[in-house]
Amino acid sequence: MAAPEVHLLFHHPIADHSFSGDRSLLAVARDNNVELYKRTGNKFNLKDELKGHDKTVTSVDIAPNSGKIVTCSQDRNAYVWEPSPEGWKPTLVILRINRAATFVRWSPSEGKFAVGSGARVVAICYFEEEDNWWVSKHLKKPIRSTVTTLAWHPNSVLLAAGSTDSHTRVFSSFIKGIDEKPELSVWGERLPFNTVCGEYLNNAGGWVHSCAFSPSGNVLAFTGHDSSVTVVYPSGPEQPPSAIVNISTQLLPFCSLIWNGENEIIAGGYDCEAYRLQGDESGWQLAGSLESKGRASGGVQDESALNMFRQMDLRGKIQNDTQLKTVHQNTISTVRVYEGSGSTLGKCSTSGVDGRVVIWTV
Amino acid sequence: MTTTNWRTINVDALDPESSYNFDLSTLTPQLAPVSTSSIQQLGNQVRQQLRSGDAEGALRVALSNPPYGAAAGEGGKDAHLATVVECLQSVKLADVGRVLERVYQGPGGVECLDVLVKYLYKGMAQSTSSTTTNSRPASSQGPGFSQIQARTSVEGGGQAMSVLLSWHEKVIEIAGQGAIIRVMTDRRTV
Amino acid sequence: MPPDGKIEDGIQKTATRANIFRSQSLRPYLLCVRSSLTAALSLSNFASQATERHNVPEIEAQTSPELLLNPLTISRNENERVLIEPSVNSVRVSIKIKQADEIENILVHKFTRFLTQRAENFEILRRKAVKGYDISFLITNFHTEEMLKHKLVDFVIQFMEDVDKEISEMKLFLNARARFVAESFLTPFD
Repeated sequence: MAAPEVHLLFHHPIADHSFSGDRSLLAVARDNNVELYKRTGNKFNLKDELKGHDKTVTSVDIAPNSGKIVTCSQDRNAYVWEPSPEGWKPTLVILRINRAATFVRWSPSEGKFAVGSGARVVAICYFEEEDNWWVSKHLKKPIRSTVTTLAWHPNSVLLAAGSTDSHTRVFSSFIKGIDEKPELSVWGERLPFNTVCGEYLNNAGGWVHSCAFSPSGNVLAFTGHDSSVTVVYPSGPEQPPSAIVNISTQLLPFCSLIWNGENEIIAGGYDCEAYRLQGDESGWQLAGSLESKGRASGGVQDESALNMFRQMDLRGKIQNDTQLKTVHQNTISTVRVYEGSGSTLGKCSTSGVDGRVVIWTV
Repeated sequence: MTTTNWRTINVDALDPESSYNFDLSTLTPQLAPVSTSSIQQLGNQVRQQLRSGDAEGALRVALSNPPYGAAAGEGGKDAHLATVVECLQSVKLADVGRVLERVYQGPGGVECLDVLVKYLYKGMAQSTSSTTTNSRPASSQGPGFSQIQARTSVEGGGQAMSVLLSWHEKVIEIAGQGAIIRVMTDRRTV
Repeated sequence: MPPDGKIEDGIQKTATRANIFRSQSLRPYLLCVRSSLTAALSLSNFASQATERHNVPEIEAQTSPELLLNPLTISRNENERVLIEPSVNSVRVSIKIKQADEIENILVHKFTRFLTQRAENFEILRRKAVKGYDISFLITNFHTEEMLKHKLVDFVIQFMEDVDKEISEMKLFLNARARFVAESFLTPFD
């Protein structure tokens, strides 16, 4: 396994990160701005800043094909940024929400995007050609608390939403004129807007941190604050799922997860480490960490005897315990697909509260 | 008419749509109600197993059927806590790790230890609240628990607490931080 | 003022008793606090869903019940306990410091008052202790973001260790001084 590629961008939390389709551009959410980094060689250099939000930016997503960037923030707004000769041009999205926007993702079709919010709604946004702006339709029922995470089904119609009310729900976000009629899937056949195709709760509760559809779209996984991952195998429309597998881990909760093929999940969170989970309909288990243990972490350290005694003399310090053994030095907040061929994953990227973006070979 | 201090009324809470009025019962799956008599029955079964020297089996039985929800009532819950504490006290300190390991490996082991950690925290919370406020009627406490109460008055509860604390240390070694997280998130309180 | 011998005896006794307790249950107690606190400090940046454009510690605002988790109590005996109240973006940690007699009572009160009046210098110290406890800390996601989590936990543990030591030292000084004062007052009248 190749060593992970570590980029320490700054000493500040990264709420979310996203790579462009060709992976030359990296967008990270830092405080009230989004910073754009350009890859030169094996380094990322700051190229541009997207300024416009006046509260913490919570999420950012670059559409892989069109290159448009969507950002959302706790100031209740979302912007779509398009490149123009004068730089990045923002367009305000008519979200119609009165609380923080928490999460945003482009649909795979890139014709629309979904914004989760603290107003207990998910805004499905699409472009209205006539008026030349982004408008939204709300998914409302039966969400009872802040929406923390969203995940699109490959067909761009179904949307999974996790919330602090401990439920993960699968909705239809079908918008006439934008979406094509989806093919029949295990989640349902007729799918008018705001159809609830599934609603799941895990036993120990805890707000949902992340959810994801498997590459085929036929399986849903979500992880909550109870340190567990739940995998749902639906059996067909209007029927109880054929299996719900819950894996309670010994670790601290995961903040984010992605699928690698149909039988592996990669999740990272408060343990500052990315873990692998493997299994199928009959059962899942934790299969270890992405990191190879036992190596010196975090760059060069002067471990000479002189230095050790000097530390002991000057600071009364016996050992350096301000550095964690993991690559990330604080909570991992986002795990993303970096490079993948078809349904399997080649590389994934993680970003965390420590200001690092790390690219892992899976 | 009583005078109401209008300034202190939380007007947000009067709106049924407000976040103040979140229905916490929606966070738990449907729970089967447990009657007080079945808790007592279970307690007797556990005590029988304890007498026959099968502490591990007794612990497993006690932990696989915890009374959740309001139906069990405070009395029933306290009685079951007493049963669990009795199991814990009957295991020698040196054997704790071994017993836990076996319970963990057994069927539903993760769940069992999660429940055990819940009881450890409840045990610690219980003794402080009952000794400082004295609001709980003594009759609601089962036989096992009254035993701790007796000790509490003698040694300030240090002895009983140290049993719970040493179990806690051992459980966390095996079940990890995840077990503590689940005590906090799980609305199915014991 | 009792004769010197008695005071000394008293000190001797409390000291030995403290030693016994220390070896008996201080380590598991602190371990338990450490693991519980580490688990509780899994915080995220979370904007208020009750008030527009606000981002407040939910454990203090208490506006949405689903964002608060079950509180944990860790107690070593009836006079020493820690309460951890977790929420989505903040944790409140309250400590009840051991107070064996009235002098310690006064000392703890003075000591915590001194600290809380200078709360802004301590980052995580709360200006007012939670009811029933002597001192409280409020740790938010902003603290866990800019400081190392395990160091925050270390700080609280260190504080708990030191405060006991501090109080018993102060008590010794107080007694010594009282004896000296008593001596110098009483000598002329001999």
